[in-house]
Amino acid sequence: MPPPPTETPTHVLCPLATLSPPSSLRTWQTAPHPSQPIVATACSDRSVRVYSLTSFTLLHSITGGHKRSVRSVSWKPGTRGQSVLATGSFDASAGIWRKKEQTQEQDFTRRGGDGDEEEDEDEDDYQFACILDGHESEIKSLSWNPSGQYLATCSRDKSVWIWEELEDDNFETVAVLQEHDGDVKCVAWHPTEDLLVSTSYDDTVRLYRDDADDWVQVTSITGHQQTVWWAEFEGANMASIDFRKEKEGLSEQQTKYIDLLDRSGPRLATCSDDCTVRIWRRRPREHQEGVGTGIPSIIRSVTIDEDWLQEAILPQRHDRAIYSISWSQKTGLLVSAGSDGKVIIYKERWKAQALNDEVEGVDGGEGLEWALTEWVVVAELFSAHDVFEVNHVTWAARADKGKRFEDEEVVLSTGDDGEVRVWALDELASENKV
Amino acid sequence: MDLDKQNANPTILNPSDLPSRRRETQVKRRDDGGTGLFDDLIPPYNYLNDPFDQAISSSDSDDDAVEQIDEQEVYDLISSISDPEHPLSLGSLAVVNLPDIHIQPPTSPHSCISTVVVEITPTITHCSLATVIGLGVRVRLEQALPPRFRVDVRIKKGTHSTDEAVNKQLGDKERVAAALENGTLMGVLRKMLSTCE
Repeated sequence: MPPPPTETPTHVLCPLATLSPPSSLRTWQTAPHPSQPIVATACSDRSVRVYSLTSFTLLHSITGGHKRSVRSVSWKPGTRGQSVLATGSFDASAGIWRKKEQTQEQDFTRRGGDGDEEEDEDEDDYQFACILDGHESEIKSLSWNPSGQYLATCSRDKSVWIWEELEDDNFETVAVLQEHDGDVKCVAWHPTEDLLVSTSYDDTVRLYRDDADDWVQVTSITGHQQTVWWAEFEGANMASIDFRKEKEGLSEQQTKYIDLLDRSGPRLATCSDDCTVRIWRRRPREHQEGVGTGIPSIIRSVTIDEDWLQEAILPQRHDRAIYSISWSQKTGLLVSAGSDGKVIIYKERWKAQALNDEVEGVDGGEGLEWALTEWVVVAELFSAHDVFEVNHVTWAARADKGKRFEDEEVVLSTGDDGEVRVWALDELASENKV
Repeated sequence: MDLDKQNANPTILNPSDLPSRRRETQVKRRDDGGTGLFDDLIPPYNYLNDPFDQAISSSDSDDDAVEQIDEQEVYDLISSISDPEHPLSLGSLAVVNLPDIHIQPPTSPHSCISTVVVEITPTITHCSLATVIGLGVRVRLEQALPPRFRVDVRIKKGTHSTDEAVNKQLGDKERVAAALENGTLMGVLRKMLSTCE
């Protein structure tokens, strides 16, 4: 395929497999298990399908729980001896499902599947554990926090709920956040802090945190011109993994910028109906002291409000709504997908030369560091699901026999055609670059 | 719904004034084996000079998926949708109009996604049924057109008091999907679309 207009991609997404059998109806989202080589896919046929990333085949179909489309799924992290799955549905309820992990147990009754190595496959099904009722209309998204203590859900009823699991199957509502003026499309958690993000039909992105047992909004981020469909935080400690790990030959400014990013913590990526992907960065607190007077303030503000700045708009390659983005925790690469059927992969790098005059007009005084990096498109895939829309895209650890190196990842795309497709990212040999 | 119609006296177009492709209406159907080479020679619509032309034939809706689809065909698919509060078609109420239908080709040679943009004109500026009508148009086209078409239904600018809000709803895939799982709303839509087949 000839290269797309502006830049020559350095990578290409190669089809590895389509998870089989696919759903006959639209699939919305696919969540990789935090530790096992399996994924759960939310289907509009009211079921959840659990597939193996080793054999690419269906292991379980979770049915009978929801009365409408299952829109969202999230695996609880850090569980021992069992897998716990939360499902959010257009029927306004969330379900919790459990399955015991059977370690090394031989099972001669397994059906289907063509590989020999699936130890996950057994007759034991996901058991319905409990239902979380409270939302007035469709649940659009749900997400466990990294410790597994909290589950956030959001809905067309404009609210975000935070649930805490006090003991198995006993959930308490710890917060009902009603800041948005429209459907809440997505919720996601910060990797290391109890900081929750939500995105909405009202075009805003909001962040919440626990302030003395009371969850409150700490900022509202505006910038997107249309519905914000998805948000995801950067992984923790990415500076030791991505382009920032190479410290040799950095300019003083670049070193300062790395330090600034370090103080800001993991960044936030969002995508929207306005066809943009944006990166946001928290303004480090220390920067607010002593502005103007030159005298460091000893009176700390009691407010826990945060200030998040738009750091970048990624190269615009989508010409219809972008429904999903995912930030690799292994490489720092970002992937996006949406209504136009494209899957785009972006990489951050140092700008060839820092432009000293490019000072952002906000009251920051951080302008010099501001524009030191840029995002470039490294791979662009058209028609990932033939003519169908792509509703979700995510990175997952590669687990099939073809795995080429430790920590290799695949991209999983979930489409209106009911299919989940698995893609490997191949680097183009430089002489092959057209 | 009949008791409190929002617009009790809508303007109704004469069927002979509705756009149609003269040669294809009534019993005669296009030879699908044809190459379409002469399509450009046929005027896209021709509505003032054929008093004998009948309104949209009910037999010409779901044509072949592979053939080129033009604005007239899109018009034919949606003009026969019934208004939710009048026993009249959206075509005869001039809610859908041929000049307000646009087909945009793929934006890149690598893409095969075409976009159909339909601007609808509600009969009155505060018609709360505008969303339902728009939804009916979107659903009709999503069901009848091949999946390579993306369907954008909008309220024609300046014809409705809350056109922006309605447009946003109609453009929201998730909301549309959820609406289609709503039994009551689907009943209304089914009734509107029952005159299409």
